[in-house]
Amino acid sequence: MTDPTARGASPELIGKVTHYLHQGFSALAHGRRELPPALGDARWTPELILATWYMAETGQVPTGGLEYRVGRSGGGFDRLDFELLPEPAANTSAMAAEDTSIALNRRGSGAEITIPVPFYGGGMSYGSVSEQVMLARAIAAARWSTYMCTGEGGYPEALVPYKDNIITQVATGLFGVEERTIQYAPIVEFKYAQGAKPGLGGHLLGDKSTTAVAKMRGSVPWVSLFSPFPFHSVYSVEDHKKHVDWIKTINPRALISVKVSTPADVDMVAVGSYYAGAHILHLDGAYGGTGAAPEIAKKNIAMPIELAVPKVHKHLVKEGIRDRVTLMASGGIRTAWDIAKIIALGADGAVLATTELVALGCTRCSNCERGRGCTFGLTTTDPELKEWLQPEWGAARLDNLFRAIQGELRAILRRLGLRSVRDLRGRTDLLRYRPAETGEVA
Amino acid sequence: MRAAGLSASPAGSLAPAGAAALVPVPAPFPAAAADDRIASRRAPRRVRPASAYYHRYHIATAATPDLRPLPHRFLVQVNKFRLARLLLTELFRYWGRWDVVLNRPCIYGVFSGPVGGFSPRAERCVGCLRCTIQHPDVVRILPNPALRRLGDDYCTPRQVETIFYEASKGSVPVKGQGYRGRFGGAGWDGMWTDMSEIVRPTRDGIHGRELISTVVDIGARSTHLQLAEDGSLAAPPPRTFTLQMPLLFDLLPDSLLAAARKGSAGSRLHDLAAIWARAAAELETLAVLPLATLRRCGLAGPQLAPLIGPGEIGDDLAELAADAASAPQMVELAGWEPDAFAALARLLPETVVAVRLPFAAGWRGRLLDAFAAGARTFHLEADYHGRGEAGGFVLDLLIEANRALVEAGVRDQATLLGSGGIVAAEHVPKAIIAGLDAVALDTAALLALQCRPLGRFASRATARVEVPSGMTVGWGTQRLKNLCAAWRDQLLEVMGAMGLREVRRLRGELGRAMFQHDLEAEAFGEIAGWSDPGGHRAEHGLHD
Repeated sequence: MTDPTARGASPELIGKVTHYLHQGFSALAHGRRELPPALGDARWTPELILATWYMAETGQVPTGGLEYRVGRSGGGFDRLDFELLPEPAANTSAMAAEDTSIALNRRGSGAEITIPVPFYGGGMSYGSVSEQVMLARAIAAARWSTYMCTGEGGYPEALVPYKDNIITQVATGLFGVEERTIQYAPIVEFKYAQGAKPGLGGHLLGDKSTTAVAKMRGSVPWVSLFSPFPFHSVYSVEDHKKHVDWIKTINPRALISVKVSTPADVDMVAVGSYYAGAHILHLDGAYGGTGAAPEIAKKNIAMPIELAVPKVHKHLVKEGIRDRVTLMASGGIRTAWDIAKIIALGADGAVLATTELVALGCTRCSNCERGRGCTFGLTTTDPELKEWLQPEWGAARLDNLFRAIQGELRAILRRLGLRSVRDLRGRTDLLRYRPAETGEVA
Repeated sequence: MRAAGLSASPAGSLAPAGAAALVPVPAPFPAAAADDRIASRRAPRRVRPASAYYHRYHIATAATPDLRPLPHRFLVQVNKFRLARLLLTELFRYWGRWDVVLNRPCIYGVFSGPVGGFSPRAERCVGCLRCTIQHPDVVRILPNPALRRLGDDYCTPRQVETIFYEASKGSVPVKGQGYRGRFGGAGWDGMWTDMSEIVRPTRDGIHGRELISTVVDIGARSTHLQLAEDGSLAAPPPRTFTLQMPLLFDLLPDSLLAAARKGSAGSRLHDLAAIWARAAAELETLAVLPLATLRRCGLAGPQLAPLIGPGEIGDDLAELAADAASAPQMVELAGWEPDAFAALARLLPETVVAVRLPFAAGWRGRLLDAFAAGARTFHLEADYHGRGEAGGFVLDLLIEANRALVEAGVRDQATLLGSGGIVAAEHVPKAIIAGLDAVALDTAALLALQCRPLGRFASRATARVEVPSGMTVGWGTQRLKNLCAAWRDQLLEVMGAMGLREVRRLRGELGRAMFQHDLEAEAFGEIAGWSDPGGHRAEHGLHD
C-alpha cells in the first residue's frame, strides 16, 4: 500500500471546508438553527453538545435556556444536584475570585505543581487522534498552565515546544516511549487500564496506522497494533513500584500518575498505587472513552466514576493518606457541573477528553474506527481529513471552553458559599439526589 | 472434564475418555478434543492435513447478509433548490479549482450517486452529521422512525440491531466515543461485571484471552468416588458430557409448532428445526426441540435434546438410545413429575435427563424435590421478557435458584441451564455470574434468523413470529454460528478483563459482579434525597 501522505488538502479546500464548519458550529450553538434531530444521546444530549460548542466559541455558558449542566441518562451526575444558596445579594465583583487551583503533588517532596483549574486533558494517542488535535490541546494547556496527555502513541515533534504542559503516558504496549519523552515530562502517567474498555487493552486498527503513525510507534505501517492488557511485567504493587523507580531514574523531577479503571477493589488499588509512589491517582470510570471499544465493555465492565470516587476517597481517608495524594477522575465528566459534583464526591479534580473533542467539533457519531476515520478531522490520520482542524483555531476553542468552565465553577462555588474548589472536596452534604423527571430514563 | 483420563483417538488427538464414551462426535468434526487446549502430544511422522490430528475449538464465521435489510439508520432530507443554489455559488466562487468545487461533505458516499445530493443514498449515512453541520439550510439528517419499531417493550431496537449485526458478521460490535445509554436501571442494566488491573487469565498470548476455556459440563457431578472393596468403582460414574461453550438453543415458540401440527407452515418448521439441529452440531452444542417435532422432521442426533412430556413416556422411548451414534446426550422432562423422571432415567440410562422448570409459583420446592429424587440437571425457564414467579426478574430468580442449591450444599453436583430474557451478549456472563452453567438462546436465536415478532414477544406460549421468506438451512445455520461466535468472543472479553481462565469458574461468582443499588448505597447513601430501594446484597443474603 502506498502512503497517501502526499495527497493533502489544498489551502483553498481547507478554507472552504473550515469556513462552512465554523459557520455551522456557530449557527447551531447560537440557536439560529433547529437542534439537529439526529444529534446526541442520553449522556451527551444535543443540548449539551451545542452548549459545549457555544462555550468553545464564546467563553461563556449559554444564557438562552440551552441546558448546559446535565444530560438525560437518568442516574449519576444527571440525578445529582447542589443545594445552592440563593443568588448572592452581595456585590461579588468587589470580592476576590474563587480559587479554582489544585495541587498535583501532596507527598511533601519533589516538584510542587499547582494548576489553576481543577482539570487537565486526558490521554488520546497520536494515531487515535490527529497531530493537529494534539497540538491544539497542547497549546491550550500551555496557555492555562495545565496539562494534556499524549496517550500511548508517541510524542510528535511538533509538541516539543509545549513539553512543560504535556504528560507522557507509559502504557502496556510502550508505543512511543523513549528516554527523551520521559525526560521531557513534568508528569509521567502509567496507564494500567482505561474506562472505555477496562481490562481489554488497546487496539489501533491497521487503517489508522499510517507510515507516520507507525514510525512514531516503531512498528510496521498498516498493521494493527495491540496494547496488551495488563502490563506483562506487573503482577503486584511491588512490580509497579519497580516501574515507578525506573521512571524516576530517568527523570527524577517527574510526578507519577497512575491511571486505573474502576473495579470492585478500586479502593485497594488506589492505596497500593500510593504506596508504590504515585503522586496522582487517576480513576477512569466506565462510561467515558474517546477511542473505539467493544460495545459490551462500555456499559458492563467496571463501575461508573460517580460510584468509584466516593469509595476511593473514603478509603484513603480511612487509611490516613487522603491528603498525601491527588485524586483525579475521568470517564464521562462532561461539564463544569460534573466537575464540581465529582469533586464534592471526593476527587480533587477531573480529567477531560471527550469534552475537549466536542468543543473541537465532535458530534459523537461513534464512527471513529470506520474507514478513513473522523469526518471532522479529529479522530483520524487521513492526510486530507486531518486538515479540517487547524491547531490555532482548536486551541482558541479550548481556551474559551476552559474559561467558561472556570467561570461556571466559580459561580457554583459562590452559590455554595465556598472560597476555594479545594474546600468542595468530599462535601457530599452539599449535594442532593433529585427524583427522576418526566421523560428521563429512571 | 479436564481432569478426566485421556485416551488417544484413532487420529492421534486426545479426548477425555468419559466424554468419548458418551458423546459420539457430531459430523463434520474429526475426533474432537473436548478441552480446547489439548493438542496432539507428538507430531506425526508423515505429512498430513493438520485437521486430521489437531482440533482446536473454533467457530467459523462468514458474512451472512440480512434477508430483510434493516431500515436505514437515518433519513436524509435535501432541499433541492438550496442545493442547486449552493452548487452554482461554489462553481463560480472556485472556478478552475475542481478539487474544491467537487469536494463534498460526506466521505461515506451519501452524495456520490449520479445526481449527487439531488438523490441522496440514505442507506450509506452513518450519522456523522457533517453535511448538516456544514449546510444546515440544505440538508437535514433524521433518525429513521422505522428503526424504532424493531423489537418490543423488552427487547430494544438497539438490541435487535446488534443481534442482526452479530448474526451477519460474526464479530464483536465496536464503536468509538464511549457509552451513550442510560446510567443504570432495573434487571441486567443494574449490574456491572468486575475487572482486574493486573491479573491476566494466563501469561500466554497477547492478552491472555486466547486460551480462556469456555467449556462447560452438563449433567451430574460426584463430589467423591465410591469404591468397592476390591478397589473398583462401586457405582457407575455420573452421566456428564461437555459443551464447548455455555450456549445452546432453546425451544421454538408454540405458535410455530402448533401451525405445523395443523399442516400449515410445516416446511418452515422443518427448516427451523433443521437449522437448530445443524447449528448445534457444528457448534458442538445442543438444541432443545419437542420430541414430537423431532420425529415429525425426522431429526435425531447427539446434538438434539428432545423435550419429553410425561404423557409421552413409554417403552418406545428406549429406541432413542438404540443407535449410539444418534442417541441424545440429554433429554428434557417437561415439568417436575417424579414418576416420569424415574421412568425416563430407567429407559435412557446413558442419557442426561434434565428437568425443565418454569419459574412459576412453587419452583423452589420443585427444584429441591427434584434434586432429592435424583435429578441433577435443570433447565430454569423465565418468559421471553425474563419474568417469572410474581413478576420477578430472571436475574434475581437465577441468583435465588443458585443460592437454594448452595445452601443445600449440593450446587457442585448439579447443572443449571436457563433461558428467558437473555437477548444481548452481556446477559450471558451476567446470567452465569447469577448461577447458570449455560444459557439456552430463545428470542436472540429467532432474531438472528430475522424472525419478525408479530405483536408482543412476551412468552413462548403466546409469541407469534413471521419467518423470513427465502430463509434456507445453510443461511440460518451460519447466522446462528455467527451469533454464537460474537457472543462467545464477548464472553471472552469479559472474562479476560476479570483475569478468569475458564467459564466454569465464573458460575455463581457474585463477587465478580457489582450491583447498582449496592454501589449507590455506598456512594450516595449520605446524600439527601437518595433512598435505598433495597440492595441486591441484602436481598440475597450476601454479607461483606
